[in-house]
Amino acid sequence: MEDWSHCLDVAVQIALRAGQVVQSAVKQEKQVSSKSTPTDLVTEADHQVEELIISTLREKYPSHGFIGEESSAAGVTCELTDDPTWIIDPIDGTCNFVHSFPMVAVSIGFAVRKELELGVIYHCFDGTLYTARKGHGAFCNGVRLQVSKEKDVSKALILTEIGAKRDPATLDIFLGNMKKLLSAPTHGVRIIGSSTLALCHIASGAAEAYYQYGLHCWDIAAAAVIIREAGGYVIDTTGGPLDLMSRRVVAAGTRQIADYVVKQLQPINYGRDDLT
Amino acid sequence: MEDWSHCLDVAVQIALRAGQVVQSAVKQEKQVSSKSTPTDLVTEADHQVEELIISTLREKYPSHGFIGEESSAAGVTCELTDDPTWIIDPIDGTCNFVHSFPMVAVSIGFAVRKEKISAPQLELGVIYHCFDGTLYTARKGHGAFCNGVRLQVSKEKDVSKALILTEIGAKRDPATLDIFLGNMKKLLSAPTHGVRIIGSSTLALCHIASGAAEAYYQYGLHCWDIAAAAVIIREAGGYVIDTTGGPLDLMSRRVVAAGTRQIADYVVKQLQPINYGRDDLT
Repeated sequence: MEDWSHCLDVAVQIALRAGQVVQSAVKQEKQVSSKSTPTDLVTEADHQVEELIISTLREKYPSHGFIGEESSAAGVTCELTDDPTWIIDPIDGTCNFVHSFPMVAVSIGFAVRKELELGVIYHCFDGTLYTARKGHGAFCNGVRLQVSKEKDVSKALILTEIGAKRDPATLDIFLGNMKKLLSAPTHGVRIIGSSTLALCHIASGAAEAYYQYGLHCWDIAAAAVIIREAGGYVIDTTGGPLDLMSRRVVAAGTRQIADYVVKQLQPINYGRDDLT
Repeated sequence: MEDWSHCLDVAVQIALRAGQVVQSAVKQEKQVSSKSTPTDLVTEADHQVEELIISTLREKYPSHGFIGEESSAAGVTCELTDDPTWIIDPIDGTCNFVHSFPMVAVSIGFAVRKEKISAPQLELGVIYHCFDGTLYTARKGHGAFCNGVRLQVSKEKDVSKALILTEIGAKRDPATLDIFLGNMKKLLSAPTHGVRIIGSSTLALCHIASGAAEAYYQYGLHCWDIAAAAVIIREAGGYVIDTTGGPLDLMSRRVVAAGTRQIADYVVKQLQPINYGRDDLT
């Protein structure tokens, strides 16, 4: 069995460096554009940070493949082959970044033969570093992570994100899903604006479940390893196995909470990352 | 005109001390109960921290009054008299605290109601972010600061570029949720950049003061969630008003805050109200 520990170490170094670039960029004037919808934002910093991460990794690992948020937007295929492949979100929480709302992360995932092997997520504002390597546990600033073992839905804190679509039909489904999860009753729902950091809160046990329609493979790849290595579940919104390119996910500390969330959800179709 | 700077200094010291108690309590087993609804949580730590804050302040200022979240729950009147009054939320974001979800604050406000003036004057505010140590302070007429750096609200007037924060409130009945979610739908549809719900109204209000978000609205918070943050936001150049667009009513259990009048007015126009009663009525 291969040992990807050297890849994890490299990814950590790069995430820290990328995080510094983000920290300094957040204080400056930002050039903001939009992508698929007016609320799907991108900045110069997204491109710069992705370029930094990919070029550094490519130099060290010339045979590896790359899936990055900004490369994909530019028309490069989002296709996972059997090659070792880095899956990168240079700035997760770009809208937060634009506002200097302090929840922004660098996310670096890695898959081999289509299996997610490691993940690094770096919280750019408070310097928290989440890491995991398959079979070797998940850590936050060196401290072992453990999901919440809560099974009782009425004691669950649930996280989600809104997604880029704002048409009335989509919002009705989104808000309808929130209503069901608030009504259970659960302890509450939170929306922080960064899917990777929200998924890390599942891994740390700070919340019991996460669900979202509209995120991408580069938001899921690193966090899935971190959550699973912390003892949690990362699955499809239908309850089946995670489909990395499906643009939807449910994550939870326990199977009971995961199953409950799956049952409440009405789906929102955001297409797939592996189809144009 | 009185100088409340010594009160601000004392409040800062107490908030830091209370914050340390919260930081250590968050790592331990928590005794959790509920108050008005099953989702309105309270813990032993809420009581302990409030007792610490009030007893320390009472020793220094024996003539002052106190409005604290846990004292009020226990039946003490939530009433602003002519005495200088401390308005305290010992743990804002108790649900987050129970989960160790890292957005929890100590909030200490201070109001003085002068004779012949009907509205209480909020004079200073201290909010301490227990997880990351961020300290927000303000004194009326003397600016607002975060860890010593001057705070300035966002001057964005364009709603389509606004980030909006809110909180859910304790009620979970279907009718209330429909209004709550309907308000969210309107604000998402404008379109705005987005809506965030972080689970601590005081920290969310501080994000308005720092310019990290353009507006905040909520039904269901209390005077002890508003008192400190209102001073901080106003001293950072922002507006803190009633959800109807009129002046802030501290006991009304509702608020709109924003960096600009334009954004405040826009938010006010979208909102359908939710009635949570008043803090000064039983």
